[in-house]
Amino acid sequence: MQWWCSASGKPWTWEPQYYPGVWLVVAALAVGFHALSRRGRAMGESRLVYWSGWSAVGLVWQALDWPVGPLAAGYLASAHAVQFVTLALLAPPLLLLAVRKPLAAGLPTSGRSGRMASLVTQPVIAGVLFNLVAVVTHVPLVVDTLMPTQAGAFVIDIAWLAGGLVLWWPIVVGAPSRAWFSAPVRMLYLFLSTLFHTGIAMVMLLREFPMYGIYELAPPWDAWTPLEDQHLAGGVMELAGAAVIFSIVTVMFFRWSGGVSGDVAPPPPPRD
Amino acid sequence: MPLTRFLAPYAAVVMAAACAQPAPRHGVALEPALPRPAFTLTDTRGAPYEFARETHGLLTFLFFGYTNCPDVCPVHVANVAAVLHTLPFEDQQKARFVFVTTDPQRDTLPALRRWLDHFDKAFVGLRGDDAAVTQIMQAIGLPPAVRSVPGPDGRYEVGHPATVIVFTADDSAHVLYPFGTRQEDWAEDIPRLLRVRPRSGG
Repeated sequence: MQWWCSASGKPWTWEPQYYPGVWLVVAALAVGFHALSRRGRAMGESRLVYWSGWSAVGLVWQALDWPVGPLAAGYLASAHAVQFVTLALLAPPLLLLAVRKPLAAGLPTSGRSGRMASLVTQPVIAGVLFNLVAVVTHVPLVVDTLMPTQAGAFVIDIAWLAGGLVLWWPIVVGAPSRAWFSAPVRMLYLFLSTLFHTGIAMVMLLREFPMYGIYELAPPWDAWTPLEDQHLAGGVMELAGAAVIFSIVTVMFFRWSGGVSGDVAPPPPPRD
Repeated sequence: MPLTRFLAPYAAVVMAAACAQPAPRHGVALEPALPRPAFTLTDTRGAPYEFARETHGLLTFLFFGYTNCPDVCPVHVANVAAVLHTLPFEDQQKARFVFVTTDPQRDTLPALRRWLDHFDKAFVGLRGDDAAVTQIMQAIGLPPAVRSVPGPDGRYEVGHPATVIVFTADDSAHVLYPFGTRQEDWAEDIPRLLRVRPRSGG
C-alpha cells in the first residue's frame, strides 16, 4: 500500500486507493485546528468563520486524497493545478481566519522562536518564501524528479500548504502588527504575490509542447491530450488563482475605502 | 590560378560540411545503420502494403505495438502525431507513420483503423499473422512480441519492443527512439531527420 500519492505509471482506474499518510496529515491538521478553533470561538470568533475553517480542512483532505491526489501526482497537470490553488491559495486563508485570534495571542514574542516568528511573518520575507516555493515546485526537472516518489510528492504538497500559510499570515493573522503594513500595502502585497504564479500559468498556457514528462508520458487520459491538459492547468492556475486573490483584494478594498469614507464627518441634520 | 589553389581546401571543408547528414540529437544511434526492410502485410483497407516500396524515400516511423496497450503504444504514437501536426504541410507529406500490430487476434483491421484515427487518419496500420510479424521483427533485430497468460476475464497483455525505428530518405534507420522520448525531443529531431537526403542514385 502506498502511504502518499505519487506517479505510478500504471493506467488510471476509478477503483478507490487508500493513502494512510494523507489521513494522518489531515487528522493532525484537524486535531490542531480543533484545539485552536475552540479557543478562537471562546475569544469571540463567529460561527461562520469557524465552519469556514473546517471547510478548509475538508478542502485540504480532498486535494490530497483520492482521486485528486493520485490524479495530480501522476496523470493530470490540471489536477496538479487544482491542488496548488486549493492548498496554497484557498485553504490557508480560511484556516487562518478561524484561528487568527489564538494564533496572534500565542505567537512567541521573545527569544529565538520569537525572532524566528517575527522573521517568517515579515510580509516581504513571507511573499518571497511563497513565490520561491511556487516557482521551484513548478520547475519541470523538480516536478519530474519528485513526483514519482512518495516522499517527493509529499514534500511538494506540504510545501504548498506551508507556503500558503506563510503567504496569508500577514494578511489574515496580522501578528506581530506592523504599522507600515496598511490596507493599501496589503493589497499590493497580495497583488505582487500573484505575479510569479501568474507567470508560471502563462508559461503553461503558451508552451507548444508539454512541460512535464510525468504527465506527457503517463498512461493516457482519453478526454484530452497532455498539451490540452497543460493548457487547462495554466487556465486553472491563472483564473482560479486570480479569482481567489482578487476577490479577497476586492473585499479588502471596499472595507478600506468604506473605512476612509467613514472618517468623513456626516452632513449636519436638516433644520426645520 | 593561385587564388583558386588557396581557396580550394577551405571550399572542400565547406562542401563536406554541407554534404554531411544532419545528426539527430535524441534516441539511440544505430551503428551500422539499418536498411529499410522489405516486407508485405495487410493494411487497414485490406490491401497488401509493400513497406519498402510504399515508404521509399520518405521519413518513416515504424512501430510494433497493439491497440489494447494501456500505456506505451498510445503515448508513443500520440507524441509523434502531436509533433508531426506542428510541421508544415509539405513536411507532413514527406513522413509516414506505420504501426504493425503484434496482437492480430484482437486487432482486426477496423479496430486498428479506429485506434489509429484517434491520432491521425493518415497513419498506416498493418496486420499479419504472428509468424510473419515475428519474422519481420527478427529481421530488423527486434525481439519478438510475447503474449502474457490471459487472466480470468480472458484479457492479456502483449510484451513488445517500445521503440520507434525511424527510416530516413536514404532508406536507412540511423536511430531508434525508446519509450520516454518527449514531444520536445521529437520536435527537435524530426526536422533534422527530414533533411537527410536520399542516397545518390537511389
